[in-house]
Amino acid sequence: MAQTEVSETTTSEPVPQAVEMAAQGRRLNPRRLLVVIVLYLAAFWTLVPMYWVAISSIKSLRDLAHIPPRFFPTDPRLDAWVTIFERRILENVYNSLVVSTLATIICLIIAVPAAYAATRMRLPFKFVAIVVGLMGLVALLPPIASAIPLFLLGSDLGIIDEKYTLIILYTVLNTAFAVWVLRGTFMDVPMDVEEAALMDGDTRFGAVRRILLPLIFPSLFSIAILLFIFNWNEYIIALYFVNSMKTMTLPIAIQAQIPQHELDWGVVSAAGTIAVFPVLVAAFTLQRFLVRGLTFGVASGQ
Amino acid sequence: MAEVRIEGLTKYFGDTCAVNQLNLVVRDGDLVVLLGPSGCGKTTTMRCVAGLERPTYGDIYIGETRVNDLEPRERDVALVFQSYALYPHFTAFDNIAYPLRLRKTPKDEMERRVRDVAEMLGITHTLDRPPGLCSGGEQQRIALGRAIVREPVVFLMDEPLSNIDALLRVYMRAEIKRLQHELGTTMIYVTHDQVEGMTMADQIAVMNEGTLQQLGTPSEIYDLPANNFVARFVGSTPMNFIPGALQKENGKTVHKSDQFVIPVSAEMADRAAELCPSGQCTLGVRPEEIRFTTDDEGDNQARVFLLEPLGSETILDIEKEGLLLKVKDVAATQVREGDNLSLSFNRFHLFDDNTGAAIR
Repeated sequence: MAQTEVSETTTSEPVPQAVEMAAQGRRLNPRRLLVVIVLYLAAFWTLVPMYWVAISSIKSLRDLAHIPPRFFPTDPRLDAWVTIFERRILENVYNSLVVSTLATIICLIIAVPAAYAATRMRLPFKFVAIVVGLMGLVALLPPIASAIPLFLLGSDLGIIDEKYTLIILYTVLNTAFAVWVLRGTFMDVPMDVEEAALMDGDTRFGAVRRILLPLIFPSLFSIAILLFIFNWNEYIIALYFVNSMKTMTLPIAIQAQIPQHELDWGVVSAAGTIAVFPVLVAAFTLQRFLVRGLTFGVASGQ
Repeated sequence: MAEVRIEGLTKYFGDTCAVNQLNLVVRDGDLVVLLGPSGCGKTTTMRCVAGLERPTYGDIYIGETRVNDLEPRERDVALVFQSYALYPHFTAFDNIAYPLRLRKTPKDEMERRVRDVAEMLGITHTLDRPPGLCSGGEQQRIALGRAIVREPVVFLMDEPLSNIDALLRVYMRAEIKRLQHELGTTMIYVTHDQVEGMTMADQIAVMNEGTLQQLGTPSEIYDLPANNFVARFVGSTPMNFIPGALQKENGKTVHKSDQFVIPVSAEMADRAAELCPSGQCTLGVRPEEIRFTTDDEGDNQARVFLLEPLGSETILDIEKEGLLLKVKDVAATQVREGDNLSLSFNRFHLFDDNTGAAIR
């Protein structure tokens, strides 16, 4: 790969043929070809189920039931989408957005200072690992194992079926993970840069706000997206704590589209498509930030 | 402008003692180099002055103020880091302007001061760029600019030249010395490079294993090393050491080793009798203080086994019975490999084998 690039740049006056040959060489490079094939396979692997869900939402009943399965609907219709909006799916989207966003923000507000302390206060690694491990203990349990005791606790406190309860629970479940990932991010920023800010006359808080956080912003943003997706997809805890339309998040709403009798796959698929949409948007934004983050380049001579 | 006074500074990291009972006074306007091998405590000492470390024991004064409990920002001290520690998300201009911004300097004054400093350092053309797009030398100057622009009372330099190439380093060390003279600001400069120390310092403080070995001008450090560590550490071609003992021969004192018998002056013999009664001491002699003749006569004969031409001079590697000596000669040396030389020792030092201290 490097070789073909060199051959391109070293040609002082690129002859059209030479450029073409270089381009061809790039296309035929077997290693490159292998990478491309693997990437296409991975994309296929990921995208086909999404495509299947999306396409199922506009299929007719006959297409849905057809064997062998049909990859293209022969008789597309929007019935399922009309039904899903009639069932006020937008309220569920709103609930999910509120819960996921706030839980993400609060989690970061707690995790950023905690990770800062874990990396900058010369705490022994064991101590940090144990504290963060204890924080993450609940999250390590299978969700179903923690859901029931949490539900009992919640009902004693009388906070079942409240959005803020979900927000608190999601925050608790994710904080240890966020601290651990942020700790790694903070360790990548040389201590020198922050100390330089202190020497230049900044306060510790100012150095964090003006120097450290802007430097790690791309990573911070990536972690935020990740937490958001966790929260957005969370199902089991929500299943116990949601009792009404007031708090019902999307995963529960999708589940609710499956009645006892006569399953309408179109409606379930339409709800599923709605649920995937923000995650897709997030993933695309994330990609832009990751690329920017890599080209940043911190202090030289490290 | 201020004097820096370090009294009984001791710093522990856990059980490790990084600095032990250090006393040092840096006079107002002086450039003092803290010199020593890595891990000798020089950087820790400097970080204590900066306020980035708290001393375990001891006091640090800047001017008349005891600064032990002051935050770095309250000390008005500027530090240039080994890594430069520039802010990668700011332009060079904003890097240099940062200390002024924090002090709420009016915009036009800030602009003027940053441009003045940039001009002084020859980096005006980089001001719009982020440091990542500047060369190593330019980054170095941006870091210097950031330290200079706020006119601190003390400059601290933590091996600022160790990341740039050799040629630029020779140029920059003169540049830093010139700047320090022009600004007249007290400077503490940390380095492990003894050439940097010798060329830049008004005073050198040689440190080893957390303790101060010697404080003196470069020529004092070079000509009158306080102990064998300082003698070994300073000098670009290291000092030669000949282990042995003092003995009386024909009423005169000599330093007798397995290889050589070297006469010792009566004056030095008296001091040695007083300071080192056992007589066990190592003789240290710099490569340029060994005289030689090519005749086969004389007591101290040795064979040349290698020539190291350095352009401006030649180092003769001499061997006798397992002992290696390095001797400096002029570039156009007449000596050839395999020649036998008769050596005489012009000026030398004696170091007590028990304490390592110089006998004088």
